[in-house]
Amino acid sequence: MMESPKQIVKQTDYQGEVKADWCPGCGNFAQLTAVKMALADLGIEPHNVVVVSGIGCSSNFPEFIRAYGFHGLHGRSLPVASAIKWVNPKLTVLAYGGDGDGFFEGTQHFYHTAKRNVDITYMVSDNQIFGLTTGQASPTSELGMVTKTTPEGNIEPPVNPLLLALSAGATFVARAFSGDPKHIADITKKAIEHRGFSFIDVFSPCVTFNKLNTYDYFRKRVYKYEPEDPEDFAVAYKRASEWGDRIPIGIFYQKSEPTYADRDPVLSKVNLRESPYYKLKEQDLEEFL
Amino acid sequence: MNDREVVIRVSGAAGDGVQSAGQIIAKSFSRKGMNVVTYNYYQDIVRGGTSWYQIRASSDPVRSQGDGLDIVIALNKDGVQRHTNPDIDEGGASPLSKEGIVIFDKSIQGYEEHGQRYVPMPLSDIAMKYSNNALMRNTVAIGAAMASINLDFETLAGVIGDQFGSKGKIADLNVNAAKEGYDYFKKNQEPLKKNLSFGTKPKYLVGGGDAIGLGFVSGGMKFYAGYPMTPASSALMYFANHASKFDIVLKIPEDEISAINMAIGANYAGVRSATGSSGGGFSLMVEAVGLAGMLEVPLVIYEAQRPGPSTGLPTKTEQGDLNLVLGAGQGDFPRIVLAPRNVKECFELGREAMNLAARYQTPVFVMVDLYLSEHYETVDSFDLDFKIDEGKIAGDNQENFRRYEDTEDGISPRAFPGQPGLMHNEDSDEHNEFGQVVSDAVTDPRERVKAMNKRMRKMETYRKNMPPTYTYKFSDAEYAVVQWGSTAGVVEEAVDILRNKGIRVGAIEVTHVFPLNHDIGDLVRGKKKIIVVENNYGGQFDRLLRSELLVRTEPVRKYDGESFYPGQLAEEIEVVIRGGK
Repeated sequence: MMESPKQIVKQTDYQGEVKADWCPGCGNFAQLTAVKMALADLGIEPHNVVVVSGIGCSSNFPEFIRAYGFHGLHGRSLPVASAIKWVNPKLTVLAYGGDGDGFFEGTQHFYHTAKRNVDITYMVSDNQIFGLTTGQASPTSELGMVTKTTPEGNIEPPVNPLLLALSAGATFVARAFSGDPKHIADITKKAIEHRGFSFIDVFSPCVTFNKLNTYDYFRKRVYKYEPEDPEDFAVAYKRASEWGDRIPIGIFYQKSEPTYADRDPVLSKVNLRESPYYKLKEQDLEEFL
Repeated sequence: MNDREVVIRVSGAAGDGVQSAGQIIAKSFSRKGMNVVTYNYYQDIVRGGTSWYQIRASSDPVRSQGDGLDIVIALNKDGVQRHTNPDIDEGGASPLSKEGIVIFDKSIQGYEEHGQRYVPMPLSDIAMKYSNNALMRNTVAIGAAMASINLDFETLAGVIGDQFGSKGKIADLNVNAAKEGYDYFKKNQEPLKKNLSFGTKPKYLVGGGDAIGLGFVSGGMKFYAGYPMTPASSALMYFANHASKFDIVLKIPEDEISAINMAIGANYAGVRSATGSSGGGFSLMVEAVGLAGMLEVPLVIYEAQRPGPSTGLPTKTEQGDLNLVLGAGQGDFPRIVLAPRNVKECFELGREAMNLAARYQTPVFVMVDLYLSEHYETVDSFDLDFKIDEGKIAGDNQENFRRYEDTEDGISPRAFPGQPGLMHNEDSDEHNEFGQVVSDAVTDPRERVKAMNKRMRKMETYRKNMPPTYTYKFSDAEYAVVQWGSTAGVVEEAVDILRNKGIRVGAIEVTHVFPLNHDIGDLVRGKKKIIVVENNYGGQFDRLLRSELLVRTEPVRKYDGESFYPGQLAEEIEVVIRGGK
């Protein structure tokens, strides 16, 4: 049988009515472009895409893309996105948010969604600061970093989101940088195509409130990395730990595992969005006799 | 003693099989076509402590666990003393009546007698004939209890057989043990003076949680996300045990916050879903209630109350979460609160909630309490026909689709991911008719007011379509008793007691708690007293009633963790009627 031809979808099909109002130079623009590029390249039509976000500068994303958007609560994008995918597996579901949204308020959801291997893509705009609330220390702020809430320097070590994802059992773990939108798009395409939970942490400089982790800061440090064996967990863990003068970006780990829906006795065979309502019968009451 | 009914209490420590014994007895009666209500008194302990299970079975309709205990099966000494001594306060539960019997093992000695019939039996000796431990003594005692009221042994044997059905040989051993207890009583004791009449058609014996489950499924629910918490878990267990059969999905996620957000996500994607918890777990969900209100996503929330504050009394009952539910979420947004009065209504309002949520696109609460969610009642029949109302849904491919169109009834068309040509954003920020945020660059006060008015208008539409409030023996009543939710049955029985004493009292039974139906204002007009019966300390419903109707009310409240009992409640209402405490 011939494969059905991919729908021709243009990047402009994803052009939202509302113009993104992030600060000029914000790293989020690169991700917005990259996501549109990836979706168009994959031939996915906008009405089959849902973008779910939490709260923060980056979480305004769903309004800026022409697709189905869900702009929910701080830290809670993943439970919403999981359920949407479970009840209608035909949809392409992306969750998007910032480092505060993902690694402070929503950490438990991040861990458990990764562990469940829910078939969605989660992209984090990681700018190491709280932007929308104007510059407080975030879970990925570096030790010693001076912010509005840490005038004498940040005393909490930062979270390494990649290690968190790996230890939780994520089956696709990647890192990218807003200075290279094409590279983000390439990774995003693979993430969307991956069956299972795909996670992309994107260094996304906050040009207004983070004077430490700037474009220059990352340009000097990041280098593209490709593992010989993407299924080698130990190597992935080691390379994801690298930090300092040299910071690798790329797909660190990818492995095929059954998804949550594959393991669920009902979700594995039923599209709930399309299934009929169950009609109770007299026999269903017999257990009470 | 009412000779048309029998009230039995099985008492023991957790782990003695009190609950399974109670369920066997209850089912024996429901199969004989009797009306049954059960009550589960237990503690937050897995082994030990004191627990008991009360079964009231009657040839006539019953609406509460009842007063006037006839039979006690005591599996330890504590049970013998506790349920025969009139001086022990058990929150309104009456002790064994003068003509009643208490069945216990003959090894139990040194108890104080209070004038009832004490029946020591070789329960353990008989049990040990069929098993290498004495656990089966409860089965022996059930046999004796059933002999005391002349229930035929075949019915009991059938129930025991089904209870242990999957365990073949164990079922036979239990049936034989029960038979020995049955025969022992017949040979050595006079039966109770009862005049029970049995029906011909078995009745359904259904728990409150089961009925919620049945109702939600009947209402089209396909996805339930919840985190285990007593007493909301009885519904959760129903879904767990029926998911594959009904092709529905149960998800137990990492916390209640995740549960409610999942339920919202599924509803957003066009699949009817619900979440549920008790007060503590629901407290974690509060922020997301407002999210559903703001996004106008339908959401059914099952709220099963237990006494707070905090962990409170985890295995006891109270109606103490109304303020929490009414106040859940910042800002004003429409919400509907339903409170079923009994098990059958858990089914009916459960599925009605599903339709209301879809129709009004807002959170709909179904509030019960431990008393209702964990007790069993007989139901003659369920009406399985139900029309699912999808509410307003947009057709595909519309130019400039307005998800939040400002309509006359406040209800706008929904669109689901996957529908072509209706892409839009649903936003927790205030938004215009298209779903676009109105607060980023310049906040537009006109759009804000328009959006608020549109959402709140849905409540006005709902008010116009509310069913009239239920009443009981009300047409000639001089005094009005007002209640909400699960206390309806016990209030009706208290009204009957008072009417038998010549006091003209009637009841107003509120199932649609919020928004409050203003027909209650007409009902209470001109009454000598308005007495609000509530299972909490602060009179949460009473405050709602007074603020909505501007009337003076008199409280009858109970917050000891136990439900009301009809005799005790009638006394308290009478005190209020006669001029206060």
